[in-house]
Amino acid sequence: MTLSKTTSPTIRRALLLGSAVSVAYAASALSAWAQTITVWSGYPELVPFYQHVAESMREEFPDITVEVNAIALREHERRVALGITSGESAEVLELATSIAARYLENGLLSTPPEDVQAFVGDTANFGAFFADAASYDGTVYGVPLFRGQSAVYYNTDMLAAAGLEGPPATMAEFDSYAEKLTQRDGSGNPTVSGWSLRLSGGGSGITEKFAINMFQHGGEMLASSGDGMWKSSFATDAGVATLKQYLHNLFETRTVTVEMPADAEAFEREQTAMFIRESWVIGDIASKAPDLNYDTGTLPRGSIVSSVQLYVAAEGEQADAAWSYILATQEPENLLWLLDNVGWLPNRAGLDYSEIIAAKPAFGAFVDYPESYEFFTTPAIGPIDEVMTRVAALLQEAFANPSLAGDDAAIMGVLENIDAEVNAILSREGLLAE
Amino acid sequence: MLKRKLWLFSLVAILPVMAIFAYVRVYPIYEVLRLSLHKWDILSRNKPFIGLANFAELLRDSLFRTALINTSIIAFGVLFITVPLALVIAALIHHRTRSRFASFYETSVFIPHVVSLVPAAMAWKWIFDAQLGPLNALLGVFGVAPKAWLFDPVLSIVSVIILCSWQALGFAVLIYLVGFKNLPRSLFEASKLDGASGIQQFWYVAVPLLKPITLYVSVATLVSAFNVYAQVYVLASDAQGAPGRQVRVLVLDMLENTFRNYRVGYAASEAVVLLVIVLILTAIQFSLLREKGTR
Repeated sequence: MTLSKTTSPTIRRALLLGSAVSVAYAASALSAWAQTITVWSGYPELVPFYQHVAESMREEFPDITVEVNAIALREHERRVALGITSGESAEVLELATSIAARYLENGLLSTPPEDVQAFVGDTANFGAFFADAASYDGTVYGVPLFRGQSAVYYNTDMLAAAGLEGPPATMAEFDSYAEKLTQRDGSGNPTVSGWSLRLSGGGSGITEKFAINMFQHGGEMLASSGDGMWKSSFATDAGVATLKQYLHNLFETRTVTVEMPADAEAFEREQTAMFIRESWVIGDIASKAPDLNYDTGTLPRGSIVSSVQLYVAAEGEQADAAWSYILATQEPENLLWLLDNVGWLPNRAGLDYSEIIAAKPAFGAFVDYPESYEFFTTPAIGPIDEVMTRVAALLQEAFANPSLAGDDAAIMGVLENIDAEVNAILSREGLLAE
Repeated sequence: MLKRKLWLFSLVAILPVMAIFAYVRVYPIYEVLRLSLHKWDILSRNKPFIGLANFAELLRDSLFRTALINTSIIAFGVLFITVPLALVIAALIHHRTRSRFASFYETSVFIPHVVSLVPAAMAWKWIFDAQLGPLNALLGVFGVAPKAWLFDPVLSIVSVIILCSWQALGFAVLIYLVGFKNLPRSLFEASKLDGASGIQQFWYVAVPLLKPITLYVSVATLVSAFNVYAQVYVLASDAQGAPGRQVRVLVLDMLENTFRNYRVGYAASEAVVLLVIVLILTAIQFSLLREKGTR
């Protein structure tokens, strides 16, 4: 339409006003439709999953764009701390229970709408463990997505060459398997470790792996008094047995050394015969070492379970879009895609894994476990990371001290020192049990 | 009147710069000092004043003590390696100024300073690798048994010192070269007439004259080395497993306390201790190296 000189000024003004209103309306409508939500993840391998979910909801929500920013976990935790406090956080945040507790204590994460709360609270969708992991003070705040759960990975070729069949069933067998599986050079120095243990590096990983082994010996790192209070319990029979086992393998049988390649990377390169890790390694092996002959087995007593949830830090329409996206991650098709393509175990109940397990039997140890199999988790208390980091530093010193090997009294001394450090932190935070 | 106007103009002209300087340099230091007296978890709006409690806790904190000792060893290790070595290398390069390779020498020494830290540290990680590293292979030629450079408690600190010195050397050499080029030739000629050898000229003429340069280089090197972080982070990190021994240093401890333990006030008290140490050491260096009679 053109405005001719013959059009009266009143009509011209009306048309101009109408055009302006139309443009403004179109702009506002466009901004409402073209919504962008950002996901912050601490697991770079999950990027394809989040993008897959975004694709799957495109038909229902054609104007929601999802941006995924995934970086290493520790850096992710830092940016969440800075992002939330400065109001510059992403809308969808992926957080472990212990980390989320800090933000929930301070009311910094959004409360989900009722349908999301009902979805998480429904026992047909999630067991009580995962619903609790996503809750704070009895209110659901997050949606459980995946969990870290451990199993033993073993190289079937190396086991066959050593005359072994099936994974070790007891912690004593771990020692004997490790001895038989270790490959050595002419001087007797190990070239392929029998059992790769987490012995070095920064952060709390050393403690977490130690706690997994300690659980097999019947202990847990912190004992709860049942009223929200805790006490360190490293200096126990289970603690001694665990540290003794590490030192036995390090200095007595020398099935592993601190400087040897370790963990998934070493397993994929056939530099270790056996190690304990979460299910994501299956996806990693599929992409990096597809010809590796390996299998997995359950642990002697049970496994750690570290649940990771999705939370929202937004309001209004952004929050609505974020919750829609989070609910889309819970579609069974998407969760099966997650297990199949990334390897992390979905938390949602009632999923049919049969096809995936038939194609990738290694997942069996993570989903088909004995009735008596037990689970534990790291306590969701504020200073848990500090506790684990401090313990890691002390354990690392112990792993470098050959004089401790076989000396139960000295081992107990190390563990009592750890207890003292941990209890001091718990006491400072008002969490120390009597 | 004109003088007053000029003075006012100067003040107004410099005021924006001063304001920016105060905001970005002075205010953060004040905030760190203030936070060190409070308990703050970065998330809460409450920051209760706790006086010197953070500092009292630091005295009992074994990880802080370890970090302080490691950082000090690294900082002085880097200082004692870098400054004399840089002085000697700069003297050699200066001595060969007329050589057609002079610029090659300068560039090759300076390159480590401008190379991005992470790839450089990754390369050193490979060099220090206990099983595949060329350093152990070289030592093996002389019959030395392979060393676990990144895992042994002592050698892991030595590795950090070597890496930091390698990085700091280029900058120190460059500054010394500038110093050498500005030394009066007449003094060298006079000493030569008096029969001084090249080494005597270096030791009795150049080194004393380069005292102000040595002061600057040593202060800059020490302050930079006390802030070591990325080097230890990269040397100990890996995608998963098989990382090196985490050499605990002060900046790492502060970052952990801030973002993992949510103890910003406590981390601020560590920063204050670091600030005080660096200030004291700088003052000592000034008093030792500043020429008498100068201000």
